[in-house]
Amino acid sequence: MTDQIRYGAAGFRRRNGLALGSAAAVFGVMAVGLVVPPYRTGRDVLQPPGPEHWLGTNDIGQDVLIGLMHAMPNTVFIAVSAALISLAAATTFACLAAIGGTLVATAVLRTVDILQVIPSILLLLLFAAWLQPGIAGIVLLLALTTWHEDVRVLRAIVLRELTRENVRYARHMGAGWSYCVTHHIVPAVWPTLVGLYVQNIRQAVMKAAGIAFLGLTDPRLTTWGSMMQDSLDHLHGDAWRWLLLPPALSLSLFLLIVLAVGQRLERQTMAGATARP
Amino acid sequence: MRLFIRRDINAVVIAALAALAAPPVHADNVGDRLVIADASSDRGMPAPYVHHKNGPGYIYTSYVFDTLIDHGANGDLTPGLAESWTLSDDGLVADLTLNDKARWHDGTPVTAEDVAFTFAYMTDHPYVLTSVAMVDTVEAISKDHARITLKRPYAGLQSGPLLSLPILPKHIYQDQPAPERFVDRKAATGSGPYKLVSYDKAQGRYLFERNDGYYRGTPKFRQVAIVKMAPDAALQAMAAGEVDVIGSLPWTKVEAAKKAGLNVLSARSNHPVRLVFNHQGMFREKDLRHALAFAIDRQALIDVVYQDGAVVAETGYFQMGSPWRRETADPDYAHDADKAAALFRQNGWERGDDGRWHRDGSPVVLRLIADKSFNNLATALADQLEAFGISVDLRILERAAQQEHVRTGDFDLALFTASTMGDPNGVARRVTSPMFWRGDRFQDSEAMKAAIRAQAGALDHAERLDQLHRFQALYAEELPAYMLVNPIWTTVHSDKVTPRYLGDGVAFGIPSALHKSMFLR
Repeated sequence: MTDQIRYGAAGFRRRNGLALGSAAAVFGVMAVGLVVPPYRTGRDVLQPPGPEHWLGTNDIGQDVLIGLMHAMPNTVFIAVSAALISLAAATTFACLAAIGGTLVATAVLRTVDILQVIPSILLLLLFAAWLQPGIAGIVLLLALTTWHEDVRVLRAIVLRELTRENVRYARHMGAGWSYCVTHHIVPAVWPTLVGLYVQNIRQAVMKAAGIAFLGLTDPRLTTWGSMMQDSLDHLHGDAWRWLLLPPALSLSLFLLIVLAVGQRLERQTMAGATARP
Repeated sequence: MRLFIRRDINAVVIAALAALAAPPVHADNVGDRLVIADASSDRGMPAPYVHHKNGPGYIYTSYVFDTLIDHGANGDLTPGLAESWTLSDDGLVADLTLNDKARWHDGTPVTAEDVAFTFAYMTDHPYVLTSVAMVDTVEAISKDHARITLKRPYAGLQSGPLLSLPILPKHIYQDQPAPERFVDRKAATGSGPYKLVSYDKAQGRYLFERNDGYYRGTPKFRQVAIVKMAPDAALQAMAAGEVDVIGSLPWTKVEAAKKAGLNVLSARSNHPVRLVFNHQGMFREKDLRHALAFAIDRQALIDVVYQDGAVVAETGYFQMGSPWRRETADPDYAHDADKAAALFRQNGWERGDDGRWHRDGSPVVLRLIADKSFNNLATALADQLEAFGISVDLRILERAAQQEHVRTGDFDLALFTASTMGDPNGVARRVTSPMFWRGDRFQDSEAMKAAIRAQAGALDHAERLDQLHRFQALYAEELPAYMLVNPIWTTVHSDKVTPRYLGDGVAFGIPSALHKSMFLR
């Protein structure tokens, strides 16, 4: 029994360590935007990589390396926060649908049905074309067009956990709902939340790249997706090598890291949750 | 290895495009066929009320519909449907003698009745690209004699409406209450050198066939096909002999075209990109317009965005080579940050310790709107202004959103482009009219309005030029908009055909080398 407790505590500490580490990394990434030189246009256009511009320049003389560094915080921030907001919204609505009456559940689930029928990229394009959003706007738009996808899964899990015998037993022994939520339901739902979060990040990155791809954001709000879009005019020449590959590789690398961290988090939370007394 | 792969991909793309693009013709008459590649999609059905309201839409329609007066190959005015014309001394009555060999594509003769009908019909159903508001009546005196009576003397009658108004067949259009919904094949019955055979809206494909009985001589090519093709694909197709003309090649591809040994024809478009000020906002002050002009380095914009694809534009509206321009050096507002700063200070702006400009205590943020095609130019311009200490809120907008921003005055600066060529009666619309949303919409100079009015009524050519030169000086001084760059446009063609850029543009000033004179012998 003590072993199990210790294992659980270690898992928890490790989990916090990983979470803290990820948070620190994200802040580090944000800070990059403040220290790199400005992303200026210049007369050296379409220069291949060289000592002056390590990764070359684009068609209006902007340095690709500086662009990559400016785009990093934008891309990461958009993905991380849009995924968080959409998950929070999904959890809220899932709980409402689980514990609210039939009316509430029907309202939530039908809304979700409607949103699922309309392709979210279509909504995204419409709103983006209409509003020309800045970075906060993009985050909100992405969150608003993804949250519904998580609601059904979460509602099913919350419903299952609410009617589990451990919760019933705890209630029978006089535990309050808040105790049950923090000690029984949240730990049980946590691994799913982590999994969904990682999935949402991945989706947000792709969708943000998609809107940037269609040129629907401020042209100076650089993201890896927008850099890829700008490079497409040069597919017939040589310039795609230094215009398309760096942002594409950065994007892939980021997604790989997110997946790896996600898998780790998931494994550890699973371990933590099952090891709980 | 990579090269091979790319070449293969290109080959596949070309093959696919060619398969889509090739009009259904037999191999034996391929030599008679002229294929024009257009990078954009559909330009609308080639009939006056349904073609798209832009240059290419008009040009394609002009292959089917003739006008009373036309351009010769060198841009001069030559007879079209009207064999000759005279203007009375008071400038109020024009008599036109029609070419009696002219026939509609269905064989019916073109008569003065058709001309009278066209003017009357276009009064009720305005043709957006040319106005007939100055015309009082048009009568058919005889079968081939039409008389136009004007409300007031109108200097640009020949180089304006007579040159650009497509004449409609009365027997087809007289029963059409809503011509903008008339999309039957019959709507494209004209009197021009080519008949419309097929038009595919979805793919933007046109196929024309020669009008064998054309009154100005049988056209050179049996068929003319217009196909939608991206510039890179078009260049390769041309190298393979599948395409004869690329109407407008982006400047970034010109090098490639020259390297491929193709015939490259380039000219200043005189379709400059202007920085338009919102005259309802802070830029109502002329000094501020001047200050901003001095803060901008136009040559640097060209070096960054266009390189060899543009030249610095003339600030007095008319561009080099325009027959209406006074050959004098317009003020060039050469980049001078100190001068700009001094002017801003005189008008109450202050520079903070951080180098940013402030107005009434708050930092200046200029809202700049542009469409997607000016993404790069807008970015470079915003960069320059930011470096000078003015923050820019840059918005790349769709057309409808731009229009809305202009309508509600929700902008400070905008990047727009329009032709400066064609009969100068177009100036009123492009500069002072509040109705034309992409115009300068400049109302504040009475002297400028007076000059525009006076040139329109001037019957003597020298007097007209005099007024236009006054307008040119006023434009450069008042700066309703700051002409930034004059892009160079390029047409690529095979040896089969000789396109030409006309000195003052086609019809109302379209900078296209594809005028129909290239089809005539």
